[in-house]
Amino acid sequence: MSLYSSGTSAASSAGSSVSSTTKPSEIDGLLAGAGYRVRSSDLRHVAQRLERLDAAMVNSPAEVSQLASDAVHYNPSDIASWVDSLLSELNQTASLPSDLPELPELMVGPGLNQTVLAEDAWTDHDAPQHQQLNNQFPVMTAMEEDSGIRLVHVLLTCAESVQRGDLAFAGSLIEDMQSLLTRVNTSCGIGKVAGYFIDALSRRIFTPQGVGFGGGVGLDPAYENEVLYHHFYEACPYLKFAHFTANQAILEAFDGHDCVHVVDFNLMHGLQWPALIQALALRPGGPPLLRLTGIGPPSPDGRDSLREVGLRLSELARSVNVRFAFRGVAASRLEDVKPWMLQVNPKEAVAVNSIMQLHRLLGSEPSRNSPIEMVLGWIRNLNPKIMTVIEQEANHNQPGFLDRFTDALYYYSTMFDSLEACTLQPEKALAEIYIQREICNVVCCEGSARVERHEPLAKWRGRLGQAGFRPLHLGSNAFKQASMLLTLFSAEGYCVEEKEGCLTLGWHSRPLIAASAWEAPLALPDANSPAAAPGIFVNPHSNPPINSL
Amino acid sequence: MAGSNEVNQNESKRVVPLNTWVLISNFKLAYNLLRRADGTFNRELAEFLDRKVPANTIPVDGVFSFDHIDRAAGLFNRVYQPAPENEAQWSIEELGRPLSTTKIVPVIIFFHGGSFTHSSANSAIYDTFCRRLVNTSKAVVVSVNYRRSPEHRYPCAYDDGWAALKWVKSRTWLQSGRDCKVHVYLAGDSSGGNIAHHVAVRAAEAEVEVLGNILLHPMFAGQMRTESERRLDGKYFVTIQDRDWYWRAYLPEGEDRDHPACNPFGPRGKSLKGLNFPKSLVVVAGLDLVQDWQLAYVEGLKESCQNVKLLYLKQATIGFYFLPNNDHFYCLMDEINSFVNSNC
Repeated sequence: MSLYSSGTSAASSAGSSVSSTTKPSEIDGLLAGAGYRVRSSDLRHVAQRLERLDAAMVNSPAEVSQLASDAVHYNPSDIASWVDSLLSELNQTASLPSDLPELPELMVGPGLNQTVLAEDAWTDHDAPQHQQLNNQFPVMTAMEEDSGIRLVHVLLTCAESVQRGDLAFAGSLIEDMQSLLTRVNTSCGIGKVAGYFIDALSRRIFTPQGVGFGGGVGLDPAYENEVLYHHFYEACPYLKFAHFTANQAILEAFDGHDCVHVVDFNLMHGLQWPALIQALALRPGGPPLLRLTGIGPPSPDGRDSLREVGLRLSELARSVNVRFAFRGVAASRLEDVKPWMLQVNPKEAVAVNSIMQLHRLLGSEPSRNSPIEMVLGWIRNLNPKIMTVIEQEANHNQPGFLDRFTDALYYYSTMFDSLEACTLQPEKALAEIYIQREICNVVCCEGSARVERHEPLAKWRGRLGQAGFRPLHLGSNAFKQASMLLTLFSAEGYCVEEKEGCLTLGWHSRPLIAASAWEAPLALPDANSPAAAPGIFVNPHSNPPINSL
Repeated sequence: MAGSNEVNQNESKRVVPLNTWVLISNFKLAYNLLRRADGTFNRELAEFLDRKVPANTIPVDGVFSFDHIDRAAGLFNRVYQPAPENEAQWSIEELGRPLSTTKIVPVIIFFHGGSFTHSSANSAIYDTFCRRLVNTSKAVVVSVNYRRSPEHRYPCAYDDGWAALKWVKSRTWLQSGRDCKVHVYLAGDSSGGNIAHHVAVRAAEAEVEVLGNILLHPMFAGQMRTESERRLDGKYFVTIQDRDWYWRAYLPEGEDRDHPACNPFGPRGKSLKGLNFPKSLVVVAGLDLVQDWQLAYVEGLKESCQNVKLLYLKQATIGFYFLPNNDHFYCLMDEINSFVNSNC
């Protein structure tokens, strides 16, 4: 079931192939407030299906427990398809009464009908403004700590003066904040994260534009980044969540295919792939032929780090009898990659895996043939079976500096909060540096230097939908994998949540990273440019993308 | 039994609106999948199926919310407040000040339902309910994310409730009125109502002031079967069998339903006579099979010479307050409003 009402698209093309002739029927507003999407016109039908399921469960109680443990559940918000998938699992051959009674006209009380009351128009879950901004207030403001609150207040005032261009005033606030810092505990909590933000702000105010921040002394930045990334991977579960979730979805998408090809947009040390290789090895019916194309920055000094990673993965694959072929594609930027470099074979099932890469293609202004559109275009033209997209669940690409700053302050303070639970050193310290670099990029950089342009899931849904992708709902298997992963961390506080087919991992009730999966139905013939397909719409309303295993 | 189930479904459909029927039936079926016969619970699937919503400090329909997290315990309370009069001038520093220095702003500590096992403070149905409660009563609502069974049995939920009460009482920014104190009410539906009662008892014994209890078809039971249980078994979404399962999951292993947690005025219960117990508003749904136990609870309070008002909603089923599409909902909201905003 699709969520893309035709009205939301910023019509980048003449887009008239959208069948917007019939407005999507109204969703029942009261059920929406309870987290469920059911069309008002569908209510009776859904009720009947619920009745059937109830009867089916009563008739075969033994199967019910199997249903609970074996069935994969998708998108619980969509009651209709949830019930239907359970009914098909139960595979009821027993005859149900063909004369299920017509539902009587339901009403309670004189004069009351089912009109949706105005106050229950509160269904604004997907509005990024509402969802992300200021969502983490009290996690960092311990009410008891006056200095903490004041520090936040001054930080926001400083950011606001930067936005106004009053750098002199902003600079004076830096000094105020540095003295406030002496009065809070800077080894954890608000003090620690404020320290990083004060540092980032002062770089922005006092360092002329165009000068990059710090950087390793004498070390190759890409190599340094890999080291930091690895420690971030170890210190907290965000990247592991990304890998687990993506792998589970890819595994399911590859079901039944003998030749599969994974394109990894950021290979790094290939930490994601051993698990997938092993899972494929254990696949009933035997493993497919697996090709992996890993994209990464070119290595200095004549080393070929991509190839080294590929060799290690090959050895692993060989040890578990999985036929494996690796190809490295060196590119400094994702937009420099051309599809022909990937050498995709039309007979293979392709999975495109993007972990925190797509946001780097965004600019702050939407434009035609922007890098993101170009890349999404050629991805679509590959007809991938699945594209896994994991992104930071944050709104760090807003045009206004203050808005970005505020969002980042709350986002990263939550992330630092979660990191406090880690006891591994030096993993924790290096993970903090990794995060600090992201902060600096969001706060200090502008233009093409600012690559950490995180956008929330709601925005990605729109973008990807516009680019012709359809959502594949991540199911309860992926959720289970992610939850199991969390039990490996003794820290209580991480939580996995499912929302409309996507999974998020967060700290307490704040999601920090979101995973979604997409498929690209057969592209319409585009005679012009395979690399720069403008947003051709495939009507997402026609086929519900729910697959039941 | 399939035949009688059909009859049952027809009856429940006659008394609730269609979307309510869909909502509660959906819960019923999902919950059937989650409870295992051996007493364990499929928590992963439960969390996957539960619709949750984040807090939002930006006011929506006049209410904003934020989560306060207790790092040590891994629990959180979600605080809901009415949006400030002048949003443009409001800053986070305001959060450090009392709610009002002139008038009294009630603070309702709310314990969500779910038979001690299901739901969370950030479940969509409860988030929505708490927001509505703020709007109608002009109160601050603190929803407690207590630990659930079967992973955490008695008395965890009560302990978490007590911790929440102490936390609320000690927040200067929840104070109001010329007397500069936190004006606390305890409220809850189903298991939450049960929790509210037990926290109130502990508060009374410790002389911590609670101004009132609001129990929305609270979850009580006993070893014997009552007439309402037999008459209404399976008819309106709930069965005796599932009630029994939840009590087995919550009570200490080996205990029966006359345990005082479950049956506070039963053979192992105690009188509250002489205790400075808050006034109570007990709401009973006429189609809830547990009603005889709830009515016995009301009697027990009366026998203990405590102030209790019974609101009996004859044609209401459980969960009538989730959607504002019926008279009972509005009746309830009015009663709660009077209850927390009166001067007595």
